[in-house]
Amino acid sequence: MPRERVLRTVAAALSFAGIGVATYIAIADAGGGSPVCLAGGHGCATVAKSHYSHLAGINVAVFGILGYVLILAAALTPGDLGRFGGFLLAAIGFGFSVYLTYLELFVIDAICHWCVASAVLMALLLAVNATRAFTYAGAELASVGRNEAG
Amino acid sequence: MATRQAQKERLREQRLAQEAEAQAKERRRRLVQYGSAAAFLAVCAVAVLVIISQSGGGSSGSGTEDAALVKQQLRGIPQHGTVLGDPNAKVTVIEYADLQCPVCQAFSTETAPDLISQVVRKNTATYDLRQYTIIGPDSAVAAKAALAAGEQGRYWNFVELFYRNQGTENSGYVTDDFLTSVAKGAGVPDLDKWNQDRQSPKWDAALSKVQSETQSLGINSTPTFVVQGPGGKKVVGSGILPLSQLQIAIKSVE
Repeated sequence: MPRERVLRTVAAALSFAGIGVATYIAIADAGGGSPVCLAGGHGCATVAKSHYSHLAGINVAVFGILGYVLILAAALTPGDLGRFGGFLLAAIGFGFSVYLTYLELFVIDAICHWCVASAVLMALLLAVNATRAFTYAGAELASVGRNEAG
Repeated sequence: MATRQAQKERLREQRLAQEAEAQAKERRRRLVQYGSAAAFLAVCAVAVLVIISQSGGGSSGSGTEDAALVKQQLRGIPQHGTVLGDPNAKVTVIEYADLQCPVCQAFSTETAPDLISQVVRKNTATYDLRQYTIIGPDSAVAAKAALAAGEQGRYWNFVELFYRNQGTENSGYVTDDFLTSVAKGAGVPDLDKWNQDRQSPKWDAALSKVQSETQSLGINSTPTFVVQGPGGKKVVGSGILPLSQLQIAIKSVE
């Protein structure tokens, strides 16, 4: 099992990547356009222009930026607060990403590569944060531990 | 002496083992409590987000869905009547469309956003959507409502919002309430004036003029696209044309 410090570093790196992806989508939308699909095609534009791309009038990517920033903060926070806070936020982000991916596949009928990238990052963040929370919960209490908590 | 030492050692080990067990129990308790609370809260939060997303999506009829999206798409681009974009642009992309037409609606949501952001916003061409009302009587009713919105600089907001809330052709969804809600979502400043303007007889002449234009160009379906510039005027084609085809046509008349 990886050391907690390693898990926190990986979570921070994934969060930074997520902030980058979400920021690109938000900026493209704010400019009146849409993100450009990496491999060509119009999937990114179709998804960006659908009404599911906004939540209460705000681009979903803005919520993504907020989520990733909070997960980054949790990765930098030691103790159970950081562990379970990160797990909670990653679980919310992953759950909503699953819903958005369902919409792409079965409702909008178009795939946005940037949205897929964000969903993959959220899935990895859930795995990393769940491992951190369930392996190191209450680690400060332990007088004898198998792995050193970081 | 040795026996007392050994006894002390045994008692110490027992105490340490008890402490370790208590700590492990406390860790398990935290894991279960905090973990299940986090999982429960995550499920609730995702459910709330899905409900908000669904209430903003779904079927048409309210007339106000996507108002913010449309406003964002057209933000900062000048509108003059039916024309979107900088009037100094040399080329005009003309679309002959019917507000009840589902293919026109598809173009509006799939290609028009890119045409607006990559061509109109960059002042390469203006975009003129002319009301070619061929589907039914409600097409003319909707067209006049859009043209009346244009009197207050909101033609394009009205048209784009109408398309995003479009119902089934000739199903009777184009009611006064529906048109009013579209006008509200489009940000028409004076709804009383809009309501009066849309009933003006002057729009009959405007719609007839468009009918004559299409006849002279040999156009009989919607949406059909024409480009006009210093290099001439040509019919590009009908249907959901790709942006690239329109861009080539624009270049050909520059």
